[in-house]
Amino acid sequence: MDNSKVMTAAEAVEKFVHDGDCIAIGGFVTNRRPYVLTREIIRQGQKDLYLEGGPSAGDMDMLIGNGQVSIYIVSYIANSGYSQVCRRFRAAVEKGAKKILFDDYSLDVQTIAYHGAALGLTYVPVKNMLGSDLVNKWGISEEERKKHPKLPPKKFVIQEDPFNPGSDLCLVPTPKIDVALIHAQYACPDGTFRIEGPGFQDLDIAMAAKHTIVSCEELLSVEQMHRNPELNTCVGLCVDAVVEAPRGAHPTQCFGRYDYDGQFLLEYEEASKTEEGFQAFIKKYVTDCPTHMDYLETIGIEHLVSLRIDKGYGWKRGLKRK
Amino acid sequence: MEATRKQMMAIALARQVEDGKAYIVGTGLPLVGAALAKNTHAPNASLIFETALFEGNPQEVPTSVSDLRITYGCSVLWPQYRYFGFQSIYSKRDVIAAGFLGGAQIDPYGNLNSTSIGDYNDPVTRFTGSGGANGIANYCNTIIIMKHQKRRFIEKVDYVTSIGWGDGPDGREKVGLDPNKGPRAVVTELGVMKFDEKTKRMYLAEYFPGVTIEEIVENTGFELDTSRAVESEVPSDEVLDVLINKVDPLRMMI
Repeated sequence: MDNSKVMTAAEAVEKFVHDGDCIAIGGFVTNRRPYVLTREIIRQGQKDLYLEGGPSAGDMDMLIGNGQVSIYIVSYIANSGYSQVCRRFRAAVEKGAKKILFDDYSLDVQTIAYHGAALGLTYVPVKNMLGSDLVNKWGISEEERKKHPKLPPKKFVIQEDPFNPGSDLCLVPTPKIDVALIHAQYACPDGTFRIEGPGFQDLDIAMAAKHTIVSCEELLSVEQMHRNPELNTCVGLCVDAVVEAPRGAHPTQCFGRYDYDGQFLLEYEEASKTEEGFQAFIKKYVTDCPTHMDYLETIGIEHLVSLRIDKGYGWKRGLKRK
Repeated sequence: MEATRKQMMAIALARQVEDGKAYIVGTGLPLVGAALAKNTHAPNASLIFETALFEGNPQEVPTSVSDLRITYGCSVLWPQYRYFGFQSIYSKRDVIAAGFLGGAQIDPYGNLNSTSIGDYNDPVTRFTGSGGANGIANYCNTIIIMKHQKRRFIEKVDYVTSIGWGDGPDGREKVGLDPNKGPRAVVTELGVMKFDEKTKRMYLAEYFPGVTIEEIVENTGFELDTSRAVESEVPSDEVLDVLINKVDPLRMMI
């Protein structure tokens, strides 16, 4: 019997990403984001997505800009250092646009909520948010939440700590993630994957999600991966699809492999200032590149090689970043 | 050698850093200030990031808190939820001396807005949101960095992303937060503000060389006590040299 979970990005996204799904994405802002999978969602055009933002950036901005998002739970969205605030998100929420529903949390609250979700907990009690407008102002009302069964019915509940009377806690519901998208350095056909370098919240969202798609720099054999379990991040039982995609995190960084592509991020910042610029950008880098290899050819070998990190460092020293 | 205002700001931030203590740092000028401190008077200060990348000594200026430039010299690259635990436990134990925060608007009690201008649900301008700022403000002492403009220093901010002293002396306690933690200093390109021990209201503590008290008052949208203000110490050539030639030679931030 062939138990292999290896498939193409197109097959994985078609099989596991559906209209209305709650999506979480691994990596952090400009580090190890699975762009290869996000670009495929843009090509296939799944609608009404509910994004669990976390440390989000240009990838979620592209999904919002392409009109595929109806709910966005936000704590941060920027290609830090290149765009102060992602532009298509701004265009979707500012000055009467009202194109998406959004609600705000703190990034560390989202982090611990994902960890709670990975532990099977239904909420996490925290001291965050108390005293701020994160609790005084709701982006999505209780009334509105009734129309969206995937959202928790309340943003939070403030309650006295039963074990420390007189001290309030903010109880934050853990999200029910449908699909987690992860980029790892290694994976094998049974779904086991290995992240090198900072792990961020990837293992938590991979465990919590109903379905997890992993793109990887290198596809190893099961035998190779299981020879060093101490190096592995996640058991394949939590993973549904494995997609081999070298440079799949471009334009973001990938530990031990390549640096972020500052010039590309600047190009996106410029393009995404207008709807027309954004559409042209999506055409050039997403729809006109049906496969990941087409995309890499569009970026160009010389440019990709220039982003290779210096061995012993996590980055390319002296890289042109502005 | 004379420091520009932005360089003076980085130097004032560095002066807030004590040797041997841990600081939660974001990118931008706070990181430049903290790196300057590490390269001068505070070689044993620990820089920690909300990404759970701890104690690095960046050799090039990182552009984000996830930038792998931060990992140089790190002791651990923890999964992110460990940062949450470290923040909540080790702020109480005073291992974390302070976290650095910024914002678009600030009020006299150091409450900060980094979420939006106008109606939250239909904003005129939308920013990134909290990032880790709300947690840092709720658990830790903070050092705030701001552009000193009248429209930013205002009586009431449009959205409280990160609480300061709330609405005054008991502002934190009554919402369930540690009353002994809170904002300690506000550093701008003009000077340094601190908070009155009793009233918790902001006052002018220092003005940078070449800046007048009048200029600061003109650029502040609320009443600012200036009776305790003194001129900041002029930085030494040595400190300026480290800042310009070692910490940020590519001029990413200064």
